[in-house]
Amino acid sequence: MKTLNRSVAAIALLCAGVTAAGAADDSTLALVPGGPHPYFAAWEQAGLDAAADLGLGEATYKIPQKWELAQQNQLLESLLSQGYNGFLIFPGDPVGAVSTAEELAGFGAPVIAGAGCYKDPSPAAFCLGTDTGKSAYLGAKELIKAMGDGEKRIVHFTGFLVDPNTQLRIDAVVQAAEEEGATVVQVIADIDAPEPAEEKINAYLAAHADEVDGIIATAWVPAVVAANALRRMGDDRIHMVGIDHDEAVINAIKDGVIDGTMIQNPYGQGYIGAYALDKLRSGCTVKDDAPFGSNALTTKFIDSGTAYVDASNADSYLDTMRAETDKILADFDATYLNCE
Amino acid sequence: MQQISRLSRTDWFGPLLATVLAIAIIGSLSKNFLSPYNIQILLLAIAVNALIAFAQMIIIAIGQMNLSVGAIGGLAAISFAGMMEVWGLPALPAALLALVIGLLCGVLNGVLVRITGISAFVITLATLSIYKGINLGITEAQPFYGVPAAVKAFGAATILGPIPWLLAPTIAATVALWYMLRRLPVGRFILAVGSNDHAAGLSGISVGATVVIAHGISGFLAALAGILVVARLQIGQPSIGDDWLILSFAAPVIGGAVLAGGHVSVTATALGVVIVAIITQALVLFSIDPFLVQVVLGALILAAVGLNKLRARDTAKGSL
Amino acid sequence: MTLQDATYSSGTDDSPLGPRTGLSRSRFFLSNEFGLILLIAIFAIIFGFATKGFFSPFNLFALGRNSAVNIMIGLSMMSVIVTGGLNLAVGAMGVCAAMVCGWMIESLGIPWPLAIAGGLAFGALLGWINGWTVVRTGLHSFIITLATMSIFFGVMIFLTKAEAFRELPPVFTEFGRARVLGYVSPLLLVTLVVAVLLAWLYRGTVLGREMLAAGASPAAAELSGIRVGRMVILCHMLSGALAGIAALMLVARNGAAIPSMAGQLGQDWLLPAFLGPVLGGTLLQGGKVSVLGTVLGAFLVTMLTSGLLMLQIGAFWVQSFLGLMLLVAVLLDKARRSYLARRNLA
Repeated sequence: MKTLNRSVAAIALLCAGVTAAGAADDSTLALVPGGPHPYFAAWEQAGLDAAADLGLGEATYKIPQKWELAQQNQLLESLLSQGYNGFLIFPGDPVGAVSTAEELAGFGAPVIAGAGCYKDPSPAAFCLGTDTGKSAYLGAKELIKAMGDGEKRIVHFTGFLVDPNTQLRIDAVVQAAEEEGATVVQVIADIDAPEPAEEKINAYLAAHADEVDGIIATAWVPAVVAANALRRMGDDRIHMVGIDHDEAVINAIKDGVIDGTMIQNPYGQGYIGAYALDKLRSGCTVKDDAPFGSNALTTKFIDSGTAYVDASNADSYLDTMRAETDKILADFDATYLNCE
Repeated sequence: MQQISRLSRTDWFGPLLATVLAIAIIGSLSKNFLSPYNIQILLLAIAVNALIAFAQMIIIAIGQMNLSVGAIGGLAAISFAGMMEVWGLPALPAALLALVIGLLCGVLNGVLVRITGISAFVITLATLSIYKGINLGITEAQPFYGVPAAVKAFGAATILGPIPWLLAPTIAATVALWYMLRRLPVGRFILAVGSNDHAAGLSGISVGATVVIAHGISGFLAALAGILVVARLQIGQPSIGDDWLILSFAAPVIGGAVLAGGHVSVTATALGVVIVAIITQALVLFSIDPFLVQVVLGALILAAVGLNKLRARDTAKGSL
Repeated sequence: MTLQDATYSSGTDDSPLGPRTGLSRSRFFLSNEFGLILLIAIFAIIFGFATKGFFSPFNLFALGRNSAVNIMIGLSMMSVIVTGGLNLAVGAMGVCAAMVCGWMIESLGIPWPLAIAGGLAFGALLGWINGWTVVRTGLHSFIITLATMSIFFGVMIFLTKAEAFRELPPVFTEFGRARVLGYVSPLLLVTLVVAVLLAWLYRGTVLGREMLAAGASPAAAELSGIRVGRMVILCHMLSGALAGIAALMLVARNGAAIPSMAGQLGQDWLLPAFLGPVLGGTLLQGGKVSVLGTVLGAFLVTMLTSGLLMLQIGAFWVQSFLGLMLLVAVLLDKARRSYLARRNLA
C-alpha cells in the first residue's frame, strides 16, 4: 500500500511539474555516464561522499548498460519517472542528447553536463569537464619535450571516431606538433575496445616501430594497450604519453616504460556536480556573468582540472586531483552562483 | 593437368593460393611485413581468431548457426579472470572451470535446440542475451584487473623465434578437430547430420546426441578463445566477444563452408583466418583509412561466397 | 539453403491462411496475439504496483515513443522474414537512410519533406541492392546482409567521417517531443499507421499475397506464375524503407542524424529486430506473417525493459531477462502449436 501511495504521490508531483524551489534535503540526484567505462567508476564514490557530506536524499551512480544514446535516454526517462530530480549527465551525443535534457529540465530537474558537454543551446546549467583539446595539446607538448632533440615523429592512438572529442584531440595534437616542429605520422582511431586496440596497435608498432619516436594516446584503452606493447617490446627509444589513471598506465610510468600521462578529474566532476545540483535545487541560479570558459561545444564550461603525471608524482596523483577539487569548491558559490 | 583440376576442386586450394599470393605481394611491398615481430603479432591474432572461426564452423557443419559464440567467449573470459582475482584460484583450475562453463553453455544451446525443435538461430539469439547479460550482471561492465603474472607471461612468451605460446592450444585444437572430422565416427555423424539429418537418423545415428555434442564443442572452443584473449590483453574485459560475430562467419565462409551444413574444412577455415588476419594487418601497414577496414571485410566475404558459388557451378559442370 | 532446423518441419503448423472456421473464437484465445496481450496486461499490473511512476503520464509517453521505434525495427525485419530470409543489415541501412536525409537538408539545402522522402528512397535502394544480390547469387540472405552490413556502414562512416548532421530544422525535435492528448507520442501514431498499412498489404492486396506465397514455397509460387525473384527484391526494398522510417524517428527523437545511433555496424538493432517478429509468431522459414503479433511483441519487450529499469533490479541484468523472456515465449508458442495440432488431429 505504501508503494501505491508513493507512486500516486509521485504521479501527482510529476503532473504538477516539480519546481526548483523544493528544500535541498529531498534532492534525489542521479549521476549518469554515457555507458559503462572505467573512467566513470570514481563517480560512484563521489556521489556517495557528496550525499553523506551534504545530507542529500540520494546521489546515485546509474549506468546505462551499453554505450548507446538510446539506452541512456531510456534510463533517464525511467529515472525521471521514478522521482529523481537532479541529473549529472555525460551526454551520449552532444546534440542528440539535448532533447532528453530539455525534457528533464521541463520537469524542473536541473541538469549539469559532466565529463563531456552538450552543444549550445542546451538546458544544462553548465558543463563540468576536462578540456579534452587542451589535455591532448598539453600531453603532446610534454611528449615532444620528453623526446628532446632529433627527429620527432609522433603516432597518435585515439578512441571512437563517433565520439566528437576524438576529432578535437586529433586536431589538438596536430597543432602542438606543428608548433614544435614535430610531425604526426599517423592517427589510428576507433580502438576504444581492447581487442581491436591490441590488434591494430601491435600491428602498427610491428611494422613501423623504427619510424616512430613518440606515441601519444588520448583514450583510455589505447593508452593501456600501447603501454603494455612498449613493455613487451622492451623498447626504451620510443617515448609515450598516455591518458587517465589505469593501473597499467601508472605502473608503466613508475617502471619507466612510458614518460607520463594526462590525468583527468572524474571524482571531482561527480562531487562538484552533485554539490551544484543540490544548490540549484534549493533555489540558487547560475550567475549571468560567471567566469565560464568556452570550448567547441559550449560557452558555459568549467574546467575540472587536468594534470601531467610523470614518475615524480605517480604515487600522489590522487592528492593532486583532490586538491584541484577543493580549489574549485572553495569559491564555487561566490564565483558561479546567485543564492538567495 | 587432371591433378591441377582436382586440386582446384578442394576447399583449401583457393584460400592457400590467395594466402601465398597475399604474403608474396605484401612482403615485396613492405620489408617489415616478414619481420619476426610482425609475424609474432600476426600469429597472435590468428591463434585467437582461428578458435572463434572453429567454434562457428562446427555448428555450420550441422547446418545451424551459433550467434552466441561471442557471448560464451566473453562469459568464459570474465569467469577465468574473475575466479583468479576474486577467489584467488591458480591459473590452471580457473582456466579449466572457465572451459567447463563454456562447454555447459554450448551444451545448453544444443539441448534447447534439440528438445524444443526451434531454430538454432532463435535459441542462440536468446542465449546470446542471457550469457551476455550474466557477464554484465557479474562485472557491471568493469574489467577484472587481477590477472596473475604467470598468465601474463604465458600471453607474452614465445616458443621458438616469433612463434607465441598462445598458438599451442590453437594448434592442438586444430589437429584434434581435423582428426575428429576426418577419422572419428562422431565427426562423420556431425557431417551426416549436417547434410541430411533425416537420413542420418534413419541410418541409426543419434541426431540429438550429435547436435548436443557439436554445440558443446562450439562452446568449449569459444571459451578457449576467451581465455586466450585474457592472456593476451592481460585483463578480463567484459566486452570480449562483442565483435566476434562477423569474424566467426567470415573465415569458414572464405574456407568454402556450406551454410546448409554437411560440408566444412578445417584446413580451409584456418586458411580463411590467415587471409583475414593478413588483410587486416596490411590495411594498417599501408596506412589505409581506418574507416575503410569494415568495407574491405564485407567485400571479402561477398567475394569469397561468390567465388565458391562459381566454383560449385564449375564442378557441377565438370562432373556432367 | 535453409536456416531453420529440419526438425522444425515436423508438421505442427496450423493452417496459415487464417482461422475462418467455426472454431475461430476459441482459436483466438489460443492465438499467439492473445497470449501477448495477456502477458502485456499481467506485466502492466505487476509494474504498476511494484514501482513508483510506471503509470505516470511521462513514463507512458516515453514508453510509447520508445516502442514506436522498436516496433518499426521489428516490422522492417519482418518484411524480409516473410521471404524466409533475414536482414542483418537493418541497422546499417536505417542509419544510412537517416544520414542521407540529414545530408540533403544540411549540405544540399533541400526542404525537409523532400529530404525525408529521399532518405526513405535511399533505404529502399539499399534494400534493392540486398535483394538483387540475394536473387542473382542464389546465396542465403544471412551471408549477403552480413557482408552488406559491413559495407553500407563502412562507406557511410568513410563519407561522413563519423560526423553527425546536427543543424536540422526544429520541426524534427518538435515532432519527437510533441504529445497528442497528453501522453501519446506522434511517433507511435506513425508506427501504428504503417502497421495498419502493412496488415492491409499482406491481407488485402495481390502483391502482399504473392510475397507470402513466394516465401512459403518459392517453387510452387514460380509454377503459379509469381515472379519470385521480383517479390524477394520488393520485400528487401520494403525492409530498407521501414528501417529508414525507424531511423528517421530516432532523428526526430534526438534532433540530429547521428552515425552511432544504431551502434557499431548497426548491430544494436539486431536484438529488437528479431524479438518483435519472433515473439509475434512470424515463422523464420517464411510464408507466414503476423503484423499484430510483431507490434505486440515489440511493445512487450519495450515495456519489460522499462519496467525492469524502474524496478531497479540492476540495469545490467535487463539483457538476461530479455533473453530469458524470448526463450520462454518461443517455448510457450511451441507448446501452443503442438496443443493445437493435437486437437486438430483428435
